[in-house]
Amino acid sequence: MDLLIDALGESFAPATAAFAIAAIGLNFHFGLTGLLNMGQAGFMLLGMYGYAISIRNGLPIWAAILIAMGTAIVFGAILGWPTLKLKGDYLSIVTIAAAEIVRYAGRSQTFVNLTGASVGIRGNEYKGPFEDLSPFPDERITVLWWTYHGSASNSWWLRLVAWTFVGLMLLVFWRLSRSPWGRVLKGIREDEDAVRSLGKNVYWYKMQALIIGGVIGALGGVIWSLGNSVQPDSMGRATTFWIWTLLLLGGAATVFGPVVGSIVFWTALSLVKGLAKLFIPESIMPSTVIEPFALMLVGVTLMLLVIFRPQGLLGNKKELAFHA
Amino acid sequence: MITKPDTRLLKAVALLLVAATAFVIASLVLGGDHAAATTVDPVVAPANTPKSQLVVQGLINGTVFGILLALAAVGLSLIYGTTGLSNFAHGEQVTFGAVLTYFLTTKSDVSLPLIPAQFNIGLPLPIAAIVAIIIAGGTGWLQDKLLWGPLRRRRIAALQQMIVSIGLSLALVNLFQWWVGGERYRLTTSIDSRLTFGDYYIGRQTLLSVVIALIALAGVAFFLLRTRLGRATRAIADNPALASASGIRVDGIIRLVWVMAAALAALGGILLALYENGLSFDQGARLLLLMFAAVTLGGLGQAFGALVGALVIGIVTEVSTVVVAPDMKYASALVILIVVLLIRPQGILGRAERVG
Repeated sequence: MDLLIDALGESFAPATAAFAIAAIGLNFHFGLTGLLNMGQAGFMLLGMYGYAISIRNGLPIWAAILIAMGTAIVFGAILGWPTLKLKGDYLSIVTIAAAEIVRYAGRSQTFVNLTGASVGIRGNEYKGPFEDLSPFPDERITVLWWTYHGSASNSWWLRLVAWTFVGLMLLVFWRLSRSPWGRVLKGIREDEDAVRSLGKNVYWYKMQALIIGGVIGALGGVIWSLGNSVQPDSMGRATTFWIWTLLLLGGAATVFGPVVGSIVFWTALSLVKGLAKLFIPESIMPSTVIEPFALMLVGVTLMLLVIFRPQGLLGNKKELAFHA
Repeated sequence: MITKPDTRLLKAVALLLVAATAFVIASLVLGGDHAAATTVDPVVAPANTPKSQLVVQGLINGTVFGILLALAAVGLSLIYGTTGLSNFAHGEQVTFGAVLTYFLTTKSDVSLPLIPAQFNIGLPLPIAAIVAIIIAGGTGWLQDKLLWGPLRRRRIAALQQMIVSIGLSLALVNLFQWWVGGERYRLTTSIDSRLTFGDYYIGRQTLLSVVIALIALAGVAFFLLRTRLGRATRAIADNPALASASGIRVDGIIRLVWVMAAALAALGGILLALYENGLSFDQGARLLLLMFAAVTLGGLGQAFGALVGALVIGIVTEVSTVVVAPDMKYASALVILIVVLLIRPQGILGRAERVG
């Protein structure tokens, strides 16, 4: 029973919301435009750095968020400039390389004063202003079966803000994907040359999609960092692959796919870990290997999804096709 | 596409190989007075070493690293050439070779996932390596038989297969962590003695690794250029439908390519584990991007491109440590990748074609 409650608690945890937001960003890239961005974690990490470093230097929250978004815009522009003219696999290799460059730079001793190198930036250096805004009391609060702190770190306050953000981003995606602009993106996904022959500037549209999705990814990173700490290695390649898994799980190119995917992904992960701890004897699977075991299943899930149900839980098979 | 490169390029590559071999032999002959180095940390140089000397030593280390990287990456290029798949799980093939060799050769107790028993195999290193390479080749065969072959028959798009390979990579890297845990292991306990010549040095064991790698690479080149099967491989890379129509058994050749790619990756992994003085479950995952960078730099699918690209990456990685901090050296290699793609998207050896 505790197991079930823990797992259900995961379904509305801040991390779940953060990954849902990042996946909505990826949905702009892949779901709408067909761009294979394998560097979404890089956007998230930049957002985290942008926000945390700004706050640490005494900027107000709104400015910090603008800076987080700004770094994502610059990164997206730099990234898109050479790669959006190339075909799919080039784009994926370059985006993954760029995300790794960000991570290597972040954990390098060279910038230790700015980024804190591989240790990162501790939560109490940048969470203060956000937590001060909390209308909730400064104590642990129990609602139904779940007890979290009212305003500190992994709190009810952060949950409220994070899911409001998710709702906002869903609204943005829903509006934009049904706009004339969104239809051009879908056209690019289906047949780039046809859209080009209509006189649209495909390169520029792709650039806009890349930047918008990246900015949303950076916001996801900010939310994530408010529940944890800024740590470069937590935003490695595996993180990008998880975002892909949960986007494909929920259903790419659908409005609610990323959110459903994120909720199912984190709840299932928590359940699997709990069940493995409970039912598999220590001699066969020591508790230290539960984590790699669960993540191994994530990889297998990704493979099976792509092979057997590329449209995910909510998607439309006709809508989601992999284009080069 | 593994088309036969025009003779000029071939000559250039041959010259490069000859130069590298000559360098290896010369250092074997000339560098006789090997000081038994007490510390085996090739990165740390005394603080007041002149820059030019660091650059030359970086060139030496970079060439070594590049050749080993090429060995690990050539399979990636072959697979892309024949099937169009960017195989993100190739790094795990590299890890597998190293981890399996460690499993077979170590004197300490080891175990397998899910089996609550301890083994102690302790084969000598060369035998363990050969067994590991054979088993790795077998995994290549098995993978193509059970996974990639059926996917090709179902006509799943190459990009979709690429995401499948990402899933496979994620599954395997965690399986390896489950298998050996998070520590770093060494394949051999012996200390590599150094050959010094003038101000520069190279490890004896490293030199042997380079010779092995060069022989293996020459073998691949011979296979592709001089044998019937190699010609068939290049024909498939050029045009699978036409190759099939002219009576080439496309699926059989692709399976052979998978076996070769997996075996070469395993050999590369073992040699790199010796060179880097350690292995861990994420060894290949860390190298994967450098391999991709090498293959992309040389021109996706050009088998000889992987060699040229890997040398560039290796040298950039090592020489860049003169200027930037050592923990940024991989980043500088990836920056080079992006810069080259800006100027020459088809890679160094690739044919100019529209890639967008």
